[in-house]
Amino acid sequence: MKLTRPALLLLFLWLVLLAGLTWFVQRQLQVGTDLRLFLPSPTTPEQRLLLEEIGEGPASRVMVISLEGAEPEQLADASRTLVENLQSSPNFRLVTNGDISLDSVPDELLAYRYLLSPTLDERPLDQKYLHSELQERARDLASPAGAFLEPWLPRDPTLELLKVLQRWQPMQEPNRLFDVWFDQEGKRALLLAQTRAAAFDPDQQRLAVEQLNAEAERLKGDDVTLTFSGAGKFSVMMEERTRDEATALGTAATVGMIILLLIAYRRIGSVILSALPLASAGLAGLAAVSALFGTVHGITLAFGFTLIGVAQDYPIHLLSHRHATRSPVEAARELWPTLATGVASTCIAYVTFLFSGVIGLAQLACFTVAGLAVAGLTTRFALPVLMDPEGRDFGESAWLGKVWQRMERLPRPRWAGVAAIALSIAAMVFAPQPMWESDLSKLTPVPKELLIQDQELRSELGTPDVRYLLVITAADTEYALQKLEELDEPLQKMVADGAISGYDHAARYVPTAEKQRQRQARLPEPATLRDDVDAAVEDTPFRPDVFEPFLADVEKARHLRLLTVDQLRDSPLGVSVEMLLTQHGDGNDKTAARTTALVTFSGVQDVSALERFAKAAGSGVTLLDTKNASETLVTNQRIKILWSLAVAAVLLAGVVTFALRRASRVYRVLAPMALTTLLIIGILQAAGVSMTLFHLIALILAAGLGLDYALFFEHAADDPMEQRRTLHALLVCSASTLMVFALLAMSSLPVLRALGLTVSIGVVSNFVLALLLTRPTPPPHGT
Amino acid sequence: MLALLGALIAPLTAGSAALSEQDADALIGRLAKPAPATISFTEVRFSKLLRAPLIVSGDLGYSGPESLDRRVTTPYREQTSIRGESVKVEREGEKPRSFALKHAPELRGLLSGFSAMLAGDPVALRKTFDVEMTGNDDGWTLKLTPTDTKARRRLQQIEVNGRHSEPRCFSMTTADGASSVLLLGAASAEPVAPDVTLIALQRRCGGSGQGS
Repeated sequence: MKLTRPALLLLFLWLVLLAGLTWFVQRQLQVGTDLRLFLPSPTTPEQRLLLEEIGEGPASRVMVISLEGAEPEQLADASRTLVENLQSSPNFRLVTNGDISLDSVPDELLAYRYLLSPTLDERPLDQKYLHSELQERARDLASPAGAFLEPWLPRDPTLELLKVLQRWQPMQEPNRLFDVWFDQEGKRALLLAQTRAAAFDPDQQRLAVEQLNAEAERLKGDDVTLTFSGAGKFSVMMEERTRDEATALGTAATVGMIILLLIAYRRIGSVILSALPLASAGLAGLAAVSALFGTVHGITLAFGFTLIGVAQDYPIHLLSHRHATRSPVEAARELWPTLATGVASTCIAYVTFLFSGVIGLAQLACFTVAGLAVAGLTTRFALPVLMDPEGRDFGESAWLGKVWQRMERLPRPRWAGVAAIALSIAAMVFAPQPMWESDLSKLTPVPKELLIQDQELRSELGTPDVRYLLVITAADTEYALQKLEELDEPLQKMVADGAISGYDHAARYVPTAEKQRQRQARLPEPATLRDDVDAAVEDTPFRPDVFEPFLADVEKARHLRLLTVDQLRDSPLGVSVEMLLTQHGDGNDKTAARTTALVTFSGVQDVSALERFAKAAGSGVTLLDTKNASETLVTNQRIKILWSLAVAAVLLAGVVTFALRRASRVYRVLAPMALTTLLIIGILQAAGVSMTLFHLIALILAAGLGLDYALFFEHAADDPMEQRRTLHALLVCSASTLMVFALLAMSSLPVLRALGLTVSIGVVSNFVLALLLTRPTPPPHGT
Repeated sequence: MLALLGALIAPLTAGSAALSEQDADALIGRLAKPAPATISFTEVRFSKLLRAPLIVSGDLGYSGPESLDRRVTTPYREQTSIRGESVKVEREGEKPRSFALKHAPELRGLLSGFSAMLAGDPVALRKTFDVEMTGNDDGWTLKLTPTDTKARRRLQQIEVNGRHSEPRCFSMTTADGASSVLLLGAASAEPVAPDVTLIALQRRCGGSGQGS
């Protein structure tokens, strides 16, 4: 291949431009993995809460760890060592194994017991109360509990700390062996670990996951098997799997593509050149997205590159239309109206995604539009200059001519089309599964067995019902805690009525400042307390002088600064409190600051009782049905996408009409695409597939391909040579696309499979239908 | 003073010669009783927090190595059940209190000592305790010291006194000096004076006394 000077210059400039883009992209591009980018912006408070919870809520940071394989006592020891190891790591904020004993309460919290315990709400700390308590303590001392209570009694004769600790226990306590959490059978020790990073911060999560893997490796030596699960692990795992599989399939597809192009054109130079528009498209797309959005979602990239794969067709058309008597530049000029119609209508269709309200889709649109436009323009204006004018003219191929003639004579029964439409609609109507998949978890296709294991571990730990949550929105933490204290009584009643078996909220751990102040005010003055203690001790077996530490603690409690949620944060209770109470907005923006408090339920038996309770609870309190909210969210997303699609279809038809002008031509070009879309949906439905976002994206891609095929078939005039060239181009295009997506369809990942399968069906159907429908029926005597 | 007195009395009440391991094992073997076994008790608990000891009585029900019930009937009703690793104390008109056996090494010591003796199993007994035996068939003393140093930090020693195949007293001394004495069976039948001293009780048991 010899290049002229201007062509060399052009090639040089092009490559320089590509290098520049690569540099820009490398500097700018940040790949995000937050799936929420692919969800529509929330419109209700519940949806907002749901998204916060999914993405970075404390619940999403919690990993459940189980240890098994050894004797319970050994497992309990391993559990304690694990807590020590992880607690000192920067990757974890808090690790708990249920071991809350009298000694586990941090010293600075001890004196708070009089402000935390409800005792003082009901009675003063006077002689009468102390006397009855001391008599109880004498009995305790004579009981087997005596030995471990004895050291505490001088400091805490009313056992206030024990009352506080009991209050802090989960209502549905996990099983305990040797003081740490175990499953019901006592075979697995269980722990909860909260990572510092949010679930969708894959790099940080990876560090946490790696550390747990290292611990698992270490424990293997002691025959203890460590398993863990949680959103963070899943996101790390899925990212790895997706990347591995996408790389493997991508490599296979690239190799396949090169071989196919070499067979088709038999020139290495042509094949290399034909890759330039696609490479330019990818880089231009990346540059556009990173310039406009900053962070690009991994899914945008994956889908984006799939969608602009269509751009590979553009140089193929050019290569197949090579002509002995026509320079490549002339060929490009002749092809341009058809190519431009295809590119423009597809781009305009994608533009509608910019307004779908789903950021991920907007990114995808931006990427694809930029990519396709650049691919189209470079194919028209740059590539022909570089192309070798000499080469095989596919118009001379005898067998292509024969194939074309045979195709022209194929029967085109109208009833078949009608039947296909009828069958597809029937499949949509009668398919037993729902037409749309509304389950959010299908967006993150974590293997089912892992989800089941995760669920099982969580239920062993008595973690609350994931579906129902009571959400309280308040201006600040104090108001939120007040509301919770008000609700506590009706909540207890619901437990008594059996509607729920337990509940949890932040006010169980931290009383309102108001309440703490009241309790503090009720603590007696030192002199009064001393007299009361002396009088109370008199007719008990206790010696009068042993309660000095008690007097000192009460005096200390009288002057404590009230306990706040922040003080609890790093105590063993931190995880519970933080999951239940979230402060939003920072200190700078007081107007946006608000506090969301949650009441979680366990063992929900009577949903209607919950609903009645929530209704009666007043303003700012809503019962969140997370399943419902997420389904609404997905439905909203789908409605938005479907509207975008409808607008896209209208725009696309508009562009095609504008370009082709005659109604019969417009019909011939649009019919195969429309029919194919219907057929794909029909086939998927008949095969029992509920459609997701991924199927919709695949449908759009298939439609874009269909449009191109139809345009080019339609474009091929009556010149048999030109017909053969068109046929060659379309055969190469559809074969290569089919190969790539058939490979994707073999993926083990539902996302890739959905994409691959849908587009593969689309390519076949589009090709056949474009061939049958865009050519007018030939006169019976043949050509 | 106490120790001195104890040392003086001990030689008078029991033979001071240490028995050989074989003899000790033979004696322990004779203590075996088939489960379930019930025995009445009177427990006297001493503590530095107290002016006078606490005295309760009732019965102990043993139904296997991991299961012991302690029922108090006088001067109030209380029921303690040990099942495996968990202990539950219930008292009339009060919320039951549960805790892990780990928190009460005294109790665990008592349980394992009791289980091993009622099983007549010297091997099991020697697993958790250093066993030292003095006296003769008419009056013997078993001194059980926990082998585990961690356990010894809480429970210093258990002393069992008995006659023939019948244990009469269990005296437990915790590391911080508190102690409690269980009078068993016939020994529990005699009333105990409200201001009884540890020494008087040890004498009654026929033991060698603390710190001898």
